Amino acid sequence: MAGCDVIRGCPSDYVALSVAILSFILLLLRSTLPFLIYKVPRPKGSSFWLPAIQIMASFNVLLSLVMSLNVVRFHRRHWWQSCYLWAVWVNGPLGFGLLLSCRLIQAAHLYSVFIKRRLFPIRSYISLPLTLLPWVAWAGFLHIKQPLNNRCHTGTQWAVLYTCFPVLYTVALVYITTAIHHTEFKFHELKDLWRGILVTVFSIGVWVVSYILHETHEEIMWLQVTTRCVLLVVAGFLVVAFFSISFSQPLVSDMSLHKRRSFNLKTMGEALGIPDSGILSQDDPTLDVVPNEPLDKLLLNKRFCLSFMEFADSCLAGESVHFYNEVQQLEKIPINDPVKRIYMVRHIIEKYISTGAPMEVNISHKTRQEILTTLDLAHPDLFRNAVNELLQLMNMNLAKDYWSSIFFLKFKEEAAMRSVDHELEQVNGWTVSPRPSSVRCPDDPFYQDHVPRDPPSHDGHGSYLQ
Amino acid sequence: MGLLCSRHKRGNQATTEENDQAAEIERRIEQETKAEKHIRKLLLLGAGESGKSTIFKQIKLLFQTGFDERELQSYISVIHANVYQTIKILHDGAKELALSEAGSSKYELSVDNKEIGEKLSDIGGRLDYPRLTEELVQDILKVWRDPAIQETYTRGNELQVPDCADYFMENLQRLSEANYIPTKEDVLHARVRTTGVVETQFSPVGENKKSGEVYRLYDVGGQRNERRKWIHLFDGVTAVIFCAAISEYDQTLFEDENRNRIMETKELFEWVLKQKCFEKTSFMLFLNKFDIFEKKVSKVPLNVCEWFKDYQPVSTGKQEVEHAYEFVKKKFEELYYQNVTCDHQDRVFKIYRTTALDQKLVKKTFKLVDETLRRRNLFEAGLL
Repeated sequence: MAGCDVIRGCPSDYVALSVAILSFILLLLRSTLPFLIYKVPRPKGSSFWLPAIQIMASFNVLLSLVMSLNVVRFHRRHWWQSCYLWAVWVNGPLGFGLLLSCRLIQAAHLYSVFIKRRLFPIRSYISLPLTLLPWVAWAGFLHIKQPLNNRCHTGTQWAVLYTCFPVLYTVALVYITTAIHHTEFKFHELKDLWRGILVTVFSIGVWVVSYILHETHEEIMWLQVTTRCVLLVVAGFLVVAFFSISFSQPLVSDMSLHKRRSFNLKTMGEALGIPDSGILSQDDPTLDVVPNEPLDKLLLNKRFCLSFMEFADSCLAGESVHFYNEVQQLEKIPINDPVKRIYMVRHIIEKYISTGAPMEVNISHKTRQEILTTLDLAHPDLFRNAVNELLQLMNMNLAKDYWSSIFFLKFKEEAAMRSVDHELEQVNGWTVSPRPSSVRCPDDPFYQDHVPRDPPSHDGHGSYLQ
Repeated sequence: MGLLCSRHKRGNQATTEENDQAAEIERRIEQETKAEKHIRKLLLLGAGESGKSTIFKQIKLLFQTGFDERELQSYISVIHANVYQTIKILHDGAKELALSEAGSSKYELSVDNKEIGEKLSDIGGRLDYPRLTEELVQDILKVWRDPAIQETYTRGNELQVPDCADYFMENLQRLSEANYIPTKEDVLHARVRTTGVVETQFSPVGENKKSGEVYRLYDVGGQRNERRKWIHLFDGVTAVIFCAAISEYDQTLFEDENRNRIMETKELFEWVLKQKCFEKTSFMLFLNKFDIFEKKVSKVPLNVCEWFKDYQPVSTGKQEVEHAYEFVKKKFEELYYQNVTCDHQDRVFKIYRTTALDQKLVKKTFKLVDETLRRRNLFEAGLL
């Protein structure tokens, strides 16, 4: 009678399978839960795709091991149970190879940004296939040469060659990590890189040992069964321990480690410890506003800046003010702390400058390209042109409408209430603001009775927001 | 849009007064809700610099109180900014062209003008522009009239030279006078990129008449980053006025200098047509900047633009202009019908030739738009 060691389906196999399934579920939770809890919008570009591809690759690794080790007993042989499909293609270029390539590119991005101080020049959709090319070539070569036997096993020299690939990629990863290990990362990127390397080396070690045991002790059946089980469990452990979001979403990864203090995600300014970047406090000074003062001076006052920001947000033009605010926070970071500056700069570029960014600002092509192709991310004047352009825009576009808006009135009322004498200034020369947050205008055809206009007493937000 | 009134009473007032006021508020809420249903929502959409804000300004001039003195004065800084920006773009452009065409010297400014040019370029790069003085005007005119700058201006389509450059340079003396108040024409020519959303409400029969349609017009920014905000306005729209500047067939985008403006407009128009919420919305396509188109067509062939590459000129002069215009119009019509499905059978689509700076033309065009929309309204109410 053939035991489960030959025809597969031993109890230990099913235990290993459940461990693998649980690991994958844990991986999914780890990757998506922080976003759901903090209601962070889905990131765009390579910040989203590289982690997503890693999750897919992890799934492929587990699935390929389940299929190629024949962990599950099937009653019939199907065409899709081909050894080459799982052990060569899905395990290699679509699984383990893809995992390592993604991590390699993430490490290269870190190197480029923090050491070379420029954004990684090659787009991910080009660099990832390029990095994966050796694996694909090797898989193709194996497929042609067909060295695998019907038990999905190869000879020693093929196995040695096969192990070269993960070893080479791990060596490359180690090389890049040592090149950046002296940088003072503010989030745990370095820790995650080393952890990834360690689990990879451990997994490769386990694979090599199991291969050797399999070759030398082919007749000992329980050894076969045990090695199958161990391989799958280690793969499960690998996929969970390997994953990290600190490279693409450092703020989210930061919050997920601490005990949840609030459901609000920190801003980058707060996470980096920049003073005065949090919410308004009682001690913030008020401002005696003179509309003819230049806007950049007025925006230095926090209360005014917040009021102006609220106004801009209400007419869907808030990104310029938010950008200006965050660049001001950047300028508070001293020049001799390039790592913090680079974090802030990278955050600003991803949020405001990159094409398709969530709060993309209205700047010219030249200005945008200058920032994206800069050779020094820590340069103090990096955003100068962009800030100038946007201040011009705010000056000519928003400022005029702000003075006649309800937000400015509220600001003045609050300022007056906070000051010693409670004289409310007369609002002279009240003109109509064309922004949706304005009060009713005199040519409103429904103001048929000439009711004397009262101080604004209704919700000023534009009707289009409803 | 609630009318929530929380007024602080000074001392105790009689309850009857409170009741009166509450009743008044109730009445106003009712009136407004009833009124809201009759307000027709119009959207001005289009790529950057297609003329949307100019049409918006024209509507203010035609159907509202127009610009008062304060508002006109507020445009002085905008106009001066346009002047400085223009001269900076031309000066920096000349420098770039001189570098890229190292052999020829046609983009090299004369020695005296070089220094003045650098100074003006510096001013143009600042945040606060100085008010135009006699001296600055003389400097600007010297640089403007330099052959290198004029040569650069002929290649202005490769740079981001605003369309108002010519007009302001010609009127520079007047703009710099001490008691200068911008005319309506100056205000219409002034260029400011719109950011966010601006709205206005008007009635085409004039503000004093009680009957007639009431329109609420929304103006938006046209650059790519501004378009993600459009979606907030897409509900309950009566008509979309899509502005397409047909004179821009040889120009590139402000936000992406590798992209032709007409190709962008084409893609944008298609995108807008495919929006689900516009199934019943009327589309008015304004083929704008016809005045610039007229002058350009004889100098720059239409087929420099990929979309118009099958254009064949047949004659010269005015006839050619008309022929070119009809060609462009047909292209847009074809584009519209390619993107129409059976859900859109009843949708109104009209094309108008406009020059947003021409007040009479805009008034006439708008009267036609108004008429079309009224007929549509009656048709939908089953009365036609």
